[in-house]
Amino acid sequence: MNTITFTKDPVDALLKDGLKNLWYPICPSGFVGERPISLRRLGKKIALWRDAAGTLHALEDHCPHRGAPLSQGMVLGDRLACPYHGVEVRCDGTVTKVPGSPGCKLEGTRAALSFHVQEAWGAIFLYNSDVNIDTPPPMTMPEELNSPEYSHFLCYAEWKGDYRYALDNVMDPMHGTFLHKQSHSMAEGESTATFQIRTTDTGFVFEKTGQRGVNFDWTEWGSTGVHWMRLEIPYPKSGGPGGNFAIVGCATPVDGNTTAVFFWRCRKVSSWQRDTWRFLYRNRLEARHWAVLEQDRIMLEQMEPDANQHENLYQHDIGVVRLRRHLRNLAEEQLEAAAAKAGNPA
Amino acid sequence: MQTDRYLEPHQARQRAPTTFEDLLGDAIERAFAEGAHTLPELVACLNRTGPSSENGQPWTESGFQALMARLGN
Repeated sequence: MNTITFTKDPVDALLKDGLKNLWYPICPSGFVGERPISLRRLGKKIALWRDAAGTLHALEDHCPHRGAPLSQGMVLGDRLACPYHGVEVRCDGTVTKVPGSPGCKLEGTRAALSFHVQEAWGAIFLYNSDVNIDTPPPMTMPEELNSPEYSHFLCYAEWKGDYRYALDNVMDPMHGTFLHKQSHSMAEGESTATFQIRTTDTGFVFEKTGQRGVNFDWTEWGSTGVHWMRLEIPYPKSGGPGGNFAIVGCATPVDGNTTAVFFWRCRKVSSWQRDTWRFLYRNRLEARHWAVLEQDRIMLEQMEPDANQHENLYQHDIGVVRLRRHLRNLAEEQLEAAAAKAGNPA
Repeated sequence: MQTDRYLEPHQARQRAPTTFEDLLGDAIERAFAEGAHTLPELVACLNRTGPSSENGQPWTESGFQALMARLGN
């Protein structure tokens, strides 16, 4: 019998499901209603539900008794009752009741993995911790989402492929000049450019030298408790007042072969200009933005899963290289910290 | 398009636009493209090129603002 030995790179294995101890958007807010749902995200299955007051809760969708899906069970306020044997699990991971064996040692233990969740900007964010923690660190997003001077809409989609291809795509402004050449907003500017990297307080900006506000000219990477990307694209004159169109994006791994992408489309507008932009967005602009995003999805989905193992990168790709190296460094740090905690040198 | 995952082109609106909203959207974009960026300029442009307001009357600044507040908020 022939055997093939695979050597799994632990850094890649960690990155595949997403770095730990970060907030990630996992779905639009409206995905969770009265009934519990189950979502695959970040390499796990997650049960999400709301209590009678509408407060959102999340547990790993795995009963600590035998692993049945808690999401199939009954909501009891801040607890779920597993459909298999009625085991009740509270949102902090504590088993509060084992009806079939009252007083058994499982009762009272924090045996289930719980997740902190918060809703903001039309999405549900989940803190990706491997162990139960009482208080997660804070997260913030860029001013386009926090400032009342901006208005925004969330665009959410699920793409086939590794989430890192979605990150690479956003960290590659030059593809706008070619892939999106026929789009309503990216027909301008030079088709050759020199790029530079500028460090910021929260990450870095990858930008064209000598051209700004003409096309898709720069991308920012930021880490503020959540990993996000930001870019601006000039609107055509028909888009009205409000300056450039800004996008804040996140990519969340689903199962290694699917990515949940979040793009908040933002504009600096107020008063009647805000309302008019929102009217136009709903009835005219959203479909055009969607058509551009579909060009990205179709291109990325047609790339082979190992396409990034056979590349010849050039100057336009230094943002991609920087981001990949940065993520690998973070993964190595997490692995070293985990090994040190376990008493084993990495 | 039927898919095994969430790919919904229209996430911001509750329903398809009416014919009136389609015409109005086109007219607003046309006005912006012509450089009508202030409210008086925009309203004047709509009155010149149409469509007329919902009740068939000429557009006013307050009427346009009220309609946008309803349709765009």
